[in-house]
Order: sequence, then C-alpha cells, then structure tokens
Amino acid sequence: MQLSELDRGVSLPGIEKVITQESIDLYARASRDFNPIHIDPDYAARTPLGGTIAHGMLILAYVSQMMTAAFGRNWLSGGSINVRFRSPARPGDTITAGGTIIGVERGQGQDLISCDVLCTNQNGDPIITGEAKVRVKTDENRC
Amino acid sequence: MVAVYLRAVDEGSSLYQNLKVVPPMAVAALAMAALSRSISLPSGAIHVSQELEFINTVNTGDTTTSHARVIRNRKRGELHLLTIELRVLNNKREPVLVGTSSFILPGQT
Repeated sequence: MQLSELDRGVSLPGIEKVITQESIDLYARASRDFNPIHIDPDYAARTPLGGTIAHGMLILAYVSQMMTAAFGRNWLSGGSINVRFRSPARPGDTITAGGTIIGVERGQGQDLISCDVLCTNQNGDPIITGEAKVRVKTDENRC
Repeated sequence: MVAVYLRAVDEGSSLYQNLKVVPPMAVAALAMAALSRSISLPSGAIHVSQELEFINTVNTGDTTTSHARVIRNRKRGELHLLTIELRVLNNKREPVLVGTSSFILPGQT
C-alpha cells in the first residue's frame, strides 16, 4: 500500500487460503509441533473436536502474510500483533484473512498504523480476532 | 526449515524468495518449537491467545536462540491459565522477536 492510502477505515487487501491436512502436516514439520490433534486423524476423531485441527499459529501466519503484502519490510521489523484464537480451523476450511486500519498516529519519520485483524472460515465464523500495529517509515514510498 | 514453512503457509512473497529474509512467523514457529521442548503441555491444552512483536529481521543462514519461560500460572476454579514468554535472539544476542503465548490447560494439571 502507498503512504497516501493509509487512513482510518481503509481495508487491507485480504487473502484466502484452503486448509489441507498436507499444509497442517508441513506446518507441524516446520514448527516441530507434532501434537496428534493436528496430525493424527484417528486420534483426533476420538477427541471432542472430532477430527484434526490446524495449528493456531498456521492461521496466524495468514494474517502476517496479509500484513507483509500491505506493509512490506516495515511489518517484518516493526510489526506487532495481539490475537485471540476463537475457534479451530479444520482441513477443508476456507480461511479468509482481512483487516481494517483503525488508527494512524503520525510521527517524525514514521507513522504508527493500528489495524483490526480477523480470520473467518467459509461460514463466517471467527477463527482469529485481534489487533496488529506496524511502524511505517514515512521516507519510503512503499510502506 | 524455511522452505517447509513457506510450503505449509503457501507464501510466495518476493521478500522471502529473493532477499533471503526469513518470515517472522517462521521465526515464531521456531520459538514455539523451543517452547514445546522446554515446557511439556498436557494433551488437551488450548492455545487461546498470542502476542508477537517483530523487532528485527532474520536472514536465511543466521543462527537464532529461542527462550521460553512461564510468566503466569494461574488456577481459578476449573480454569488453569498458563502464559509463556518467548524471546528469540540473533547471533549478536539482540532480540529479533518477543511475545507471549497463553494456554488454557485441562483440569487437575
């Protein structure tokens, strides 16, 4: 996004992802989190959840992806996020990550942008809700 | 590890492909791995909230050190809330990522 676009009420370009058991298994390898609730369908079927669920941090990665697309390197060193995991995401779910700018604090050389962030599934159920902040250097064209 | 992470989350940003920058959530994933090695959470633990602050970038090939410690362990009736602080340092011992993870643990743990 360009600096001139950053204002309260502006929506961030959202992203959509389909959760697969393969993506969950890959995330388990990357994070070394092999909890059977994520990777063992037989085990998970016998739990109250009734099947495997994605790691919360995998879904949170989609929010970070959206913030990276919007704010570039400013997000990678200067971003912060505070979220709650509301409900589990399952294989086959389509997750939509979105966000809205809720505050812009203008400063010398950088602005502090606050955004509401939200991930929902295909039924509109909230999976993740929270807030992200990013310091955007105002001397750069791309923020 | 980064390549597996990028496939897992279906991430194709040129920042990671061309500049050899590690996605901050991949660094966070490694911190969570450190957490799981140092603190054994019981089956049925629910990850309820997460805070993360990305302080500096990590490049492919850098060495990072992850630390996790319990900062809150509170039981109230049936509810048992555990909050863990995460810190990831680069090879200059500078913080690159800090955060907290909160879990609700099943009863009698």
